Amino acid sequence: MATVNWRTINIDALDPDSPANFDLSTLTATVAPVSTADVQSLAGQIRQLLRGGDNEGALQGALENPPYGADERGKDVHLATVIEILQSIRQSDMSPMLGRIYKSPGGTEALDVLMKYIYKGMSQTNAASTTRNITPQATGFSQIHSRGGGEGGGQAMSVLLSWHEKVVEIAGPGCIVRVMTDRRTV
Amino acid sequence: MGPPEVHHLFHHPIADHSFSADRQTLAVARENNVDLYQRAGGKFQLKDELTGHDKTVTGVDIAPNTGKIVTCSQDRNAYVWEPSPQGWKPTLVLLRINRAATCVRWAPSETKFAVGSGARLIPVCYFEEEDNWWVSKHLKKPIRSTITTVAWHPNSVLLAAGSTDGHARVFSSFVKGVDSRPEPSAWGERLPFNTVCGEFLNNTAGWVHSVAFSPSGNALAFAAHDSSLTVVYPSAPEQPPRAVISISTQLLPFKSLVWSSESEIIAAGFDCEAYRLQGSEQSWQLAGSLESKGRPGVQDHREESALNMFKQMDLKGKVTDDTKLKTVHQNTISTIRVFEAGAGTVRKISTSGVDGRVVIWTL
Repeated sequence: MATVNWRTINIDALDPDSPANFDLSTLTATVAPVSTADVQSLAGQIRQLLRGGDNEGALQGALENPPYGADERGKDVHLATVIEILQSIRQSDMSPMLGRIYKSPGGTEALDVLMKYIYKGMSQTNAASTTRNITPQATGFSQIHSRGGGEGGGQAMSVLLSWHEKVVEIAGPGCIVRVMTDRRTV
Repeated sequence: MGPPEVHHLFHHPIADHSFSADRQTLAVARENNVDLYQRAGGKFQLKDELTGHDKTVTGVDIAPNTGKIVTCSQDRNAYVWEPSPQGWKPTLVLLRINRAATCVRWAPSETKFAVGSGARLIPVCYFEEEDNWWVSKHLKKPIRSTITTVAWHPNSVLLAAGSTDGHARVFSSFVKGVDSRPEPSAWGERLPFNTVCGEFLNNTAGWVHSVAFSPSGNALAFAAHDSSLTVVYPSAPEQPPRAVISISTQLLPFKSLVWSSESEIIAAGFDCEAYRLQGSEQSWQLAGSLESKGRPGVQDHREESALNMFKQMDLKGKVTDDTKLKTVHQNTISTIRVFEAGAGTVRKISTSGVDGRVVIWTL
């Protein structure tokens, strides 16, 4: 008798009722696929607005059309666009601008999308600064090492953190919960 | 609006609570047991304990007319408890599930009850006279994940269920020989068992914590983990609903909700306080908290003597004690129930939560 290691048998594969044999994407609302080229052309339009000085229009345009259906590259392009807009808006303009967006129709949705980009932006700056600073031995004095390349990332992070604070002031903790809950990712 | 009546029963989470019809007996799920409290003056005193489950009890419901208590637990069992001269007598229910039971509710007719489970199905249980046993039929079809909550339509046939797959669904649980044929409604006309009368999803597909039919049964509300509350008004069988209104709140998610009238919902959850929501088919909005600000004993700034101030600074390193929330409940509210109702409106509700408190609120 052949020895079968029954502990390694994937029993879910044998059970037709198992959730493993079920396409989970059919549970969620369908998102239309978006090509990277479309995302890029949208980014071009938004940059046009930004150059014309219409920061609010640019932000609103970027938040109204999040490319949920795009691939990783497309999503990265849009993230870069949103971060660029966020960095070009002055600190004193943030709150009034967010207030106006929140009050407009579909405003809660727009701020939820903004919060998604803030978190995504934070995760990216983190990743960038840690990969640059790999040390051969973990000594526990990690602050010393992370200083070097962290300067650029640190500045982007402080912009995102002040945006985060302003968004929570207006949209409340409910906005953070929605980012964690939402199955449509940016 | 009088002050809320607070009963701090113990320092354990209360998964679910239920009052008897005369509101003198209170059943609370506490760890593996259900504690029965009897009202004595202004307090509730522990009178009896229903022991039998060997895992955390997740649901308890007292049938208002028959007085039978149904409990369900993570041990995958449900019991129906009936009073007898020797005390409460449990009867095991054949749920036939291989995952934990998560919630249980009697149908308004009290001949059936529904149990939510992690086995992606809902056992609808009824009493079989011939075998002298509670048996179950499974609602199974489109459910893809754990059922977190169930709620009955006033006609005892339609059942709403919320699931972690993000859907709130309305099923028919018509059992031949137990139910009489229901009146046709906007949800459906012919309703054999496991007819799906509605399936609703909100934008983020966050999992559903609570569902409830309006008092007339012609609207359905559900609260999900994306801090939203959605109200659905059906139009006709097999047709898209007349209106689906979803509001995203600034608050933390709601764990439980009840309709206090056709145009008002009381919802509470992770914010530890209950909120009033008002609206109609056109729109819904948050109308404020049930907590009255500035209740005695919870003021922000109490007059402190200098001695007391230095004593506090010495003991704790700070002057004010900030270990208490300003809300009545000190932790998440997990269940809201109607306490007193009449003439189509709810006058009092009761809430219970993770802090071991049961609070009765006058609306």
